[in-house]
Amino acid sequence: MISAFLVFNNQGQPRLTKFYTQLDTSIQQRLISEIFTLVSNRPAGSCNFLPLPPLLAASSTSHSSTEEQSDVPSLVTYRHYATLYFIVISTSTESPLALIDLIQVYVEALDKLFENVCELDLIFNFETLHATLSEMIIGGVVIETSLDRIVAGVRAQGTVAKRPVNEGRSTIGSGMGIGGNFAWTGRV
Amino acid sequence: MLYVIYEFEKSLYDLIRGLRNHKGNEKEYIQKTLKECRAEVRSQDMDLKATALLKLIYLEMVGHDMSWASFHVLEVMSSPKYHQKRVGYLGAVQSFRHDTEVLMLATNLLKKDLAATTPTVISLPIATLPHVITPSLALSTLADLLPRLNHSHANIRKKTLVTLYRLALVYPEALRAAWPKIKDRLMDPNEDPSVTAAIVNVVCELGSRRPHDFLPLAPRLFELLVDSGNNWMAIKLIKLFATLTPLEPRLVKKLLPPLTNIIRTTPAMSLLYECINGIIQGGILDSAEDIAGADEIATLCVNKLRGMIMINGDANLKYVALLAFNKIVLTHPHLVSQQEDVILECIDSTDITIRVQALNLVKGMVTSDNLVPIVSRLMKQLKSSSPSKDRRAPGSSSNTPETESDDESQTAITAPTVRDTQALLIPDDYRIDIIERILFMCSKDNYSSVLDFDWYIDVLTQLVRMAPIPRTFDADTGALLPTRQQVDVSEKVGDELRNVAVKVRAMRATAVRAADVILDQLLSDNPVGHPLSSGALKSSIWIIGEYSIQLALPDDSLNGLLQAIPRIGKPEIVAVALHATAKVFSSIAGSEVEPWTSERKSRISLLLARILDVLEPLALHPNLEVQERAVEFIELLKLTAEAASGQPPSTDENSQEPPLLLTQAIPSLFTGWELNSVAIHAQKNVPLPGGLDLDEPIHSNLGRLLAQTDIVTLQSDEADEFEVYYHQRPPPSSISSSAPAISRLADPDDDMASSYQQLSEESYLDADILAKRKAERMEKNKDDPFYIPSDNILRTSTPIHNILQNHNGPALDIDSIPVMQLDLEKIGTTVAAPSRPRPQPRQRVIVAADETLEGSDSGTGRQYDSENSSSNVAKAKSKKSKQHSLLQVDSSTIGSFSLEGNASEGFDYERQQREEAEMQQAMKEVERLRLEMQRANERIQMAQGADVQGVVIKKKKKKVAKKTAGDDENEPTKVKPKKKTKKVAAQTVEGGEPGAVTEDAPGSPSTKVAPKKKKKKKAPVEEVEATGEAGSLV
Repeated sequence: MISAFLVFNNQGQPRLTKFYTQLDTSIQQRLISEIFTLVSNRPAGSCNFLPLPPLLAASSTSHSSTEEQSDVPSLVTYRHYATLYFIVISTSTESPLALIDLIQVYVEALDKLFENVCELDLIFNFETLHATLSEMIIGGVVIETSLDRIVAGVRAQGTVAKRPVNEGRSTIGSGMGIGGNFAWTGRV
Repeated sequence: MLYVIYEFEKSLYDLIRGLRNHKGNEKEYIQKTLKECRAEVRSQDMDLKATALLKLIYLEMVGHDMSWASFHVLEVMSSPKYHQKRVGYLGAVQSFRHDTEVLMLATNLLKKDLAATTPTVISLPIATLPHVITPSLALSTLADLLPRLNHSHANIRKKTLVTLYRLALVYPEALRAAWPKIKDRLMDPNEDPSVTAAIVNVVCELGSRRPHDFLPLAPRLFELLVDSGNNWMAIKLIKLFATLTPLEPRLVKKLLPPLTNIIRTTPAMSLLYECINGIIQGGILDSAEDIAGADEIATLCVNKLRGMIMINGDANLKYVALLAFNKIVLTHPHLVSQQEDVILECIDSTDITIRVQALNLVKGMVTSDNLVPIVSRLMKQLKSSSPSKDRRAPGSSSNTPETESDDESQTAITAPTVRDTQALLIPDDYRIDIIERILFMCSKDNYSSVLDFDWYIDVLTQLVRMAPIPRTFDADTGALLPTRQQVDVSEKVGDELRNVAVKVRAMRATAVRAADVILDQLLSDNPVGHPLSSGALKSSIWIIGEYSIQLALPDDSLNGLLQAIPRIGKPEIVAVALHATAKVFSSIAGSEVEPWTSERKSRISLLLARILDVLEPLALHPNLEVQERAVEFIELLKLTAEAASGQPPSTDENSQEPPLLLTQAIPSLFTGWELNSVAIHAQKNVPLPGGLDLDEPIHSNLGRLLAQTDIVTLQSDEADEFEVYYHQRPPPSSISSSAPAISRLADPDDDMASSYQQLSEESYLDADILAKRKAERMEKNKDDPFYIPSDNILRTSTPIHNILQNHNGPALDIDSIPVMQLDLEKIGTTVAAPSRPRPQPRQRVIVAADETLEGSDSGTGRQYDSENSSSNVAKAKSKKSKQHSLLQVDSSTIGSFSLEGNASEGFDYERQQREEAEMQQAMKEVERLRLEMQRANERIQMAQGADVQGVVIKKKKKKVAKKTAGDDENEPTKVKPKKKTKKVAAQTVEGGEPGAVTEDAPGSPSTKVAPKKKKKKKAPVEEVEATGEAGSLV
């Protein structure tokens, strides 16, 4: 199960936070900053998985039985696109490689919705971010992985606004949806 | 998206622009905006309210609590306009917590929206419920959710079934009701594939908890695995099967062909990996019936995994392959150990995630052959990443979040600098992890892998220096520190050293020397006046004391101890140090053979005076243990000092014995049985002697006997002697001379150690340790004809040494390469073992096993003695205490829940009906009582002739109604008639209503609330519409 889906930028400023369990705002922020510390110090060519941040590691080591293991978040997957980090925290019932692709699907969906998505789109339309996510994941369970269906689902809720025209900086992440930080060929 | 631009109010767009324009003082700006939002969200204008809420949600994302606005969230949720409603629901998802009280009020709204006609509206409560679900909410929404499983939109169906799963996690009965329908959906071949995939995802989640219930589904799942072309689903199916195969071995035969087929053909790496993973986790490797087939599949898997690690560049595959190896190693360690070469490569990966996984593996692969290279690699990592002395706890500084600022230019400057310092840096957690693993690997199986204890002791000495400083002493974060950081890892290193000293008799002298070095090091590293906090101190001091006979320079060690004692922070270490001081003193001064010359006499007096000077302040120590030990030793030493001064020194003609107190009494305190390590469970194995009744009093007249003993001891001769000693006052003069001696003796050690410290950067051992090792090796190999001593150039000039080491790779220690082979090859006569280090004879060292009694099975492998094990027991205890992880969704309730009778209607409709009828009966009764009370109230009011303004009272009443609904969820039905009467019968005093309500409450048993929701569902909602007022949704 997916425990949380986060997006923040290269400075650690959150752009989307979605926790599938209830968590205090302050703890959410601590977790985000811990993950940011981890993720921002990855050397080039690292894998897309993070060691557990201290907040999570502390609690997961206290569990020994394998039974409970499947409930405890044990995997932090991330992808880095242009100026943004996408993070998925999940339990062991998710497939690590599939999660990498899931993030890709999410970004591609955003790219389709915004046409050449960039960070500014996400800043000003964070409601659409949430809407897109809830077409893919409900309550921590993946419900849709098909790009077209996701996009259709979001569009059914109303028109998606474009980024404000008068906002000077454009397309920081042109082609954000395509390349990513990593030539990942083994698409599902 | 909506941007409703107002003339006076800020939209979300304005807020974000404002944030970007207020670089530098965002905090102020945010506070201002929050204030505005607080006002706006209270407004009657729904547009304004919704916009304010959206802004609040945005600010919540960056860390500004909005729990205070939960009621306004609810208001916006109830908006008839979809785009506003959506904001409201988003607010609920993001900000509702377990303790959000208005959640109760939301029930009816959720039920109403679940029954909406527009699919987009239905989606909102469905997507929101998993975030806010509570057992009672699950109970009341279940009946509304179930029909949605048959909705015409596939989108709604799949969202509903996931939400039902989340309902079941808090309220397992929901699964009983929903499961037959979900199963029908799964079985239906015409079902939308994405719904099927969603069901598989849910079943996979459930399956990890309760695999038994899903065995009957295996044929259908198998069909899906083979036929559907959906890789996402296939991955989940394989994961599910991996949990099923252990229960149904026959599945293995069925699964193997498609799985091997996928492994051989699929282009998708993720599917390939999950296939292998599934084979491993499902235990297919062991359970295949024909051995040849199992071998074949095992080699196939392992080879594929090996290929994944080898593929250059794809770190992800490396990671997942290691992950899989970590699972295989549990059942097939030999298969993994064949891959030692590639795995060892991963230890030095730049990527910490990969390193940790590789480390996990290596831990289990250690043998006496590869222990030294592996540990060397790890030590090298620690050493090269060792933070310099002045940079303390670097992790804490980078933890400060920058979430509050939107300032990109500013942070852009700071970010790269962080990166620079971190390039070399390994997080403390990881360092602790490495050190613990090194200790684990070396001490495994009672040190069976350690051949060279000299080396091990040097490694331990080095580890003490490299151990990160624990951050437990930070008062502000102390409460939040995870438990594993609270254990000072250097304490574990120290304990290891002590274990070696105790267990390996041959190495005792070396261990004692190492302890001495550690103490010196700690003294010189910490500037005078700073407390010594290293955890290794305790064990080091204990070793110095216990084996003081083996000390090379006991006077220096005593000196070190005396310097250390006033600076030790922890009382338990002070207590140990007190004892150690006495032990060392006794070994210095207690010689019987040495003649009692005037020189010896003055030396002893001086020593005693110095010790007493250090101990005396401790007699008032706040810790009782320290105080007691200090007082005891002070008195004893004072007596000794007196005896020493009273005994005239021997002269040429008159030989004098040293005082007995010095040579007999004090040493006898500390000599006796040698201490051995005892196995952890040894005590349990002590057989209870037959005929021993522990409940029986030892003596029928114990109290009197005890009283008698007092008298007896007083009458004995020894006591008289003791009294004489006791009442003599020691001369106070000897203390004054001590202070300068301490300072004089302290100097040289400090200088030596600190200058050594900076020499070597490259190898994992510090230079002083290296130098010592070299000297020892020289000494050892002096007579070895095959050993070519490294020549002087190499030895004296460290730069060349370092260059060579750099080129040869991190793990190589020049000196440990047996150079003799060169020699032999030149001669070309004998065949030397190629590159293997000379096997070191183990018999030199005997490692004492833990002492235990017959029948102790777990005792032999213990590496820590009783002291450590007690902390282990404590840990085990803490494990038992149920502690939920962050982000964890507890599904344990599901685990104990049985889905028996899958096919039958699990949900007991009859019972429901019965309860409903009962409920109605009760409700009627309640209603009757309530009306009566109300009438009585009115009568009172009429009598009083109270006249109240309509508007104000109305609001107040509404609040009351809300509150009661919050307190007790079965209220809504009552609200309806209540309000009607309200309208009809003028105004009531507010006090009357809650009175009536609380009277009602006992009449409607809350346990039976469940089934009646259909009846009451619409009531309050209708009323909202009737009053037509935004904000009065209850």
